Amino acid sequence: MTATFAILKRELLTYFVSPLAYVFLGVFLFLAGVFFYLGIALTGEASLRVMLGNVSISLMFVLPMLTMRHFAEEQKTGTFEMLMTSPVSPVAILVGKWLASLTLCLVMLLGTGLFVAILAYYGDPDWGVVATSYLGLLLTCGVFCAGGLFASSLTDDQVAAGMGGIVLLMPLWLVGSASSLVGEEWQARLDHLALLPHLRSFTKGVIDTADIAYFALLTFGFLFLTFRTLESRRWR
Amino acid sequence: MIEVEHLTKRYGAFTAIEDVSFSVPKGHVLGFIGPNGAGKTTTMRVLTGFLPATEGRAVVAGFDVFEDPVEVKRRVGYLPETPPLYRELTVGEYLRFCAELRELPRADRLRRVGEVMERVGLRGWERRVLGTLSKGYRQRVGLAQALLHNPPVLILDEPTSGLDPAQNVGVRELIAGLAGDHTIILSTHILPEVEALCAQVVLINKGKIAAAGTMEAVRAQAAPAYFRVSLDAPGVEPAAVARAVGALAEVKVVQPEGEGLRVEAEPGVDPRPAIASMAVGRGWGVRGLERTIPTLEEAFLSIVGREGA
Repeated sequence: MTATFAILKRELLTYFVSPLAYVFLGVFLFLAGVFFYLGIALTGEASLRVMLGNVSISLMFVLPMLTMRHFAEEQKTGTFEMLMTSPVSPVAILVGKWLASLTLCLVMLLGTGLFVAILAYYGDPDWGVVATSYLGLLLTCGVFCAGGLFASSLTDDQVAAGMGGIVLLMPLWLVGSASSLVGEEWQARLDHLALLPHLRSFTKGVIDTADIAYFALLTFGFLFLTFRTLESRRWR
Repeated sequence: MIEVEHLTKRYGAFTAIEDVSFSVPKGHVLGFIGPNGAGKTTTMRVLTGFLPATEGRAVVAGFDVFEDPVEVKRRVGYLPETPPLYRELTVGEYLRFCAELRELPRADRLRRVGEVMERVGLRGWERRVLGTLSKGYRQRVGLAQALLHNPPVLILDEPTSGLDPAQNVGVRELIAGLAGDHTIILSTHILPEVEALCAQVVLINKGKIAAAGTMEAVRAQAAPAYFRVSLDAPGVEPAAVARAVGALAEVKVVQPEGEGLRVEAEPGVDPRPAIASMAVGRGWGVRGLERTIPTLEEAFLSIVGREGA
């Protein structure tokens, strides 16, 4: 527990003493702002639905760039050797890093609170829906961060880890629009695998245990794969 | 304190180390030498629990590296070849992080960080960013990290590589000061350093132990002691002097060396009295009769060969 917390703190320190966190916050909030404006201008409704859907897609590209350094860089600079020769389990290292990237996501999402405030000033948003939407988005971040960490554990090259993470996560999105290839009947089945339909129930204000299970399973699955990769790297 | 038995590590078809066995008693400093790529770093990584061995057994500080890796890691301080630093952190931030990883109680952390910084000569450097430090100071931070939890066993992989001569002496003195309380494995290419610090030596070459034992034994095993003989024989050809010395039963090989002779004998045989009495019998003067022990460097080269040099 102490070790997980130590690693979480160390990662956050690294984020915020380097330009990294600020660049991510800036890029993300700019994109979110564009989607917020477009969502309202196009639909004319005082909701975050359009913005959140688009934001989740952009997170798919942004978060692997955030997590790519987590293991790749440590392998390269040799700090990984220090972590693995201290009395700390790989699970603690992994969870610490995942929580750190998730914390930065939380900060990024808090930044979009500005848009909620604008919405509340001019309109009358459904606060329940706002809350469930953010919950859904945070769960999505959890999946993306875990997938990005897995990609990072596979290589000591940061760029490869970042691109690999994106490629790894893209099927979660693409599988949701494959009807032209597989037909409507199969599409209905594939929709269970796709990420956006699960996120959509949250943005409608519905909390379904099936959706929560979907996000939890993916997150846990990626983290487990990362753990196995870290273990196996030592045998090679 | 450290027992290594028949350790073998293979990467696929490549054998990094094979059947490596040695032991280090408590409080001793073991010099671990060998050419680049001989398997030093691999051996150290196995001992620190970073790499599992393919075969064999290693016990460090009373715990089996493969059965109780966490207990071993608690008792080992490790300085890898490149100091494992987070470039963007300051010295203080980094060492406090290491103190947490090393499970130091909260109350002791700051005090311990201060102590090790003092010990490795980093006083006043707490706020410096690691990425801006010179190689010598990075090495010091790496050492500080290895000492934080006051481990009974220290494994140091080339702690003096890239240091200037003054820093070298500093690190050497530091290690000498740590011996006794700590059991140390020291890998280095600087052989005079090993001669100054280590009572025991393991020389590893191509993954196998080529020589091991006390410093004296390793030197003698590699290249037997020889003798420098200088005789004053007026009017006698140098070749005739060499023949006369070579005719003695105690002498095995005679070669001219400089103005005198280089004489080798069977191990344990001292040909000096025989040479002296022979010289006196012929009315020659004796300028010098001196026994020379090969340096570790000579021993290293005679075992490893000069192909890599």
